[in-house]
Amino acid sequence: MALRDHAIVAYAETKVMEKSDRDVFVLIGEMLESLLDSTGVEKNEVDGLVVAGMTGTGAGNIFWPQTIADVLGMQVGFCEQVNIGGCSAAGCVVRAAAAIEYGLCEIAFLSFSDTHVLEDKTDHSHTYRREWTDPYGLMGPPGAFGLLSRAYEAKYGLDYRMLGKLAVTQRNHAIMNEHACEKLRVPITIDDYLNSRMIAEPIRLLDCVMRTDGGAGLLMMSRKKAREKGLTKNIIPIGYAELTNYLGGENLVDVTKSGHQICGDKALKQAGLGIKDIKSFHPYDDFIIAIMLQMEAFGFCKAGQGIPYVRETNFAYDGDLPLNTGGGQISAGQAAGSSENLLEAVRQLRREAGERQIKDTSNALVTGIGWINYARNWGSSAALVLVPE
Amino acid sequence: MTTALNDTLGVKRTIRHFDFSEPYWEGTKQKKLMIQYCKTAKKYQHFPRPVSIFTGRRRDIEWREVSGKGTVYSYTVTHRGTPAFRGKEPYALVCVTLDVGVNFVANIVNCTTEELKVGMKVKPYWHPLDDGTHLMMFQPDKDAK
Repeated sequence: MALRDHAIVAYAETKVMEKSDRDVFVLIGEMLESLLDSTGVEKNEVDGLVVAGMTGTGAGNIFWPQTIADVLGMQVGFCEQVNIGGCSAAGCVVRAAAAIEYGLCEIAFLSFSDTHVLEDKTDHSHTYRREWTDPYGLMGPPGAFGLLSRAYEAKYGLDYRMLGKLAVTQRNHAIMNEHACEKLRVPITIDDYLNSRMIAEPIRLLDCVMRTDGGAGLLMMSRKKAREKGLTKNIIPIGYAELTNYLGGENLVDVTKSGHQICGDKALKQAGLGIKDIKSFHPYDDFIIAIMLQMEAFGFCKAGQGIPYVRETNFAYDGDLPLNTGGGQISAGQAAGSSENLLEAVRQLRREAGERQIKDTSNALVTGIGWINYARNWGSSAALVLVPE
Repeated sequence: MTTALNDTLGVKRTIRHFDFSEPYWEGTKQKKLMIQYCKTAKKYQHFPRPVSIFTGRRRDIEWREVSGKGTVYSYTVTHRGTPAFRGKEPYALVCVTLDVGVNFVANIVNCTTEELKVGMKVKPYWHPLDDGTHLMMFQPDKDAK
């Protein structure tokens, strides 16, 4: 057996909310109910629980996945929390597959729901921040991406209008996505992007992801079991790789480079695909420039050629390379353990995306970015290639 | 864009130290910049770690005084600060590559937006804190070649 012998057989999600009107346990329960209803799987058959660790509400509870199992009344042979920040959702898929393959469980519920606006227990105090960035007022991710952007600009130059083009493309997709956060479903122009207020120069408001609440989940089992159950709209992971602390044993790391260069190559090799074969791209987007850096890292274009590549490419759902067709996190809202772009890729490959349906759904590339480390770009990178069965 | 930069010197700062960083903070009392050095790799590292990031060994670490001079690798002007810094915006942060080959993130003072550039030479500015230590910041090094 291998990664590709496993299947995502169903997905579930709520509308993204500025602030949740119900407890996270209610969201998690709604996801389980939806996944069971849509597959006909009985609750007692679900014997694996894999929880995205990027949860503000669950942070601080070292028994978080067990607490969820208890709340749902689940007896599980595999109970896992995946803590690689914004790579966690994609990371959950491969860990669930591994647990199924190893015989620890047969059917896994992947839970991404979070309410980090309603209730945030995140604590960064036992990190470098207390001594090395908090005393200087560096504002976490926007500050780090401000430094990253200036370094990129000094090395290669930056046409901010092209970053604005990416922001507009994603916003247009969010307007077509009824699950996107309602506050964000208003049209923007490149000038709106350029004129949005500075947060950490050159990072503007419309570069930044907005924290939101929401529920999401997946159900996974082996393809054999999916066949036995008559489940047919299955999505298969055929390549995955992750990398944490890129060049961690070195001091001076070029912030325009990331672990995506390594894990992109590895995941594509496992998938048996080249980057030019990729039909839609669902990159983790915490800041607009992260999208362009990933285009370079994965090899859609060469290093330093992101701006011209963006200029000449149509990233609309019906364009050359459909990009974050649900709006991405930046225009749909950063909710649900940062699973937004993974869920959208699954929906697209099942051809359930309505008016924004991508034409060629023979594969999709989903990525993750997790954590911000000191004087670098980001701490974890992930790449996941999906195909429909 | 021309923006007057604030210096943030008036911000109240109480810093909790990790025990393995104490030699750094002790050094700042005399305005000395102490940086960890790996005797085996013959390289510096920053921020302080409990082990060498090159060899994974505690025993390879020693502390060496360095000049703190360096070159701006990148910078960002903060327009919305962290809670302690609200009202001090806009203020600048720089990521400086010190001459000994480590990056150091800090505020910059005595500097205008026109001067602030990637590649500019900087030197330490020591800001006194209430506990007798100093906070290492940067200022333009106008004598540097």
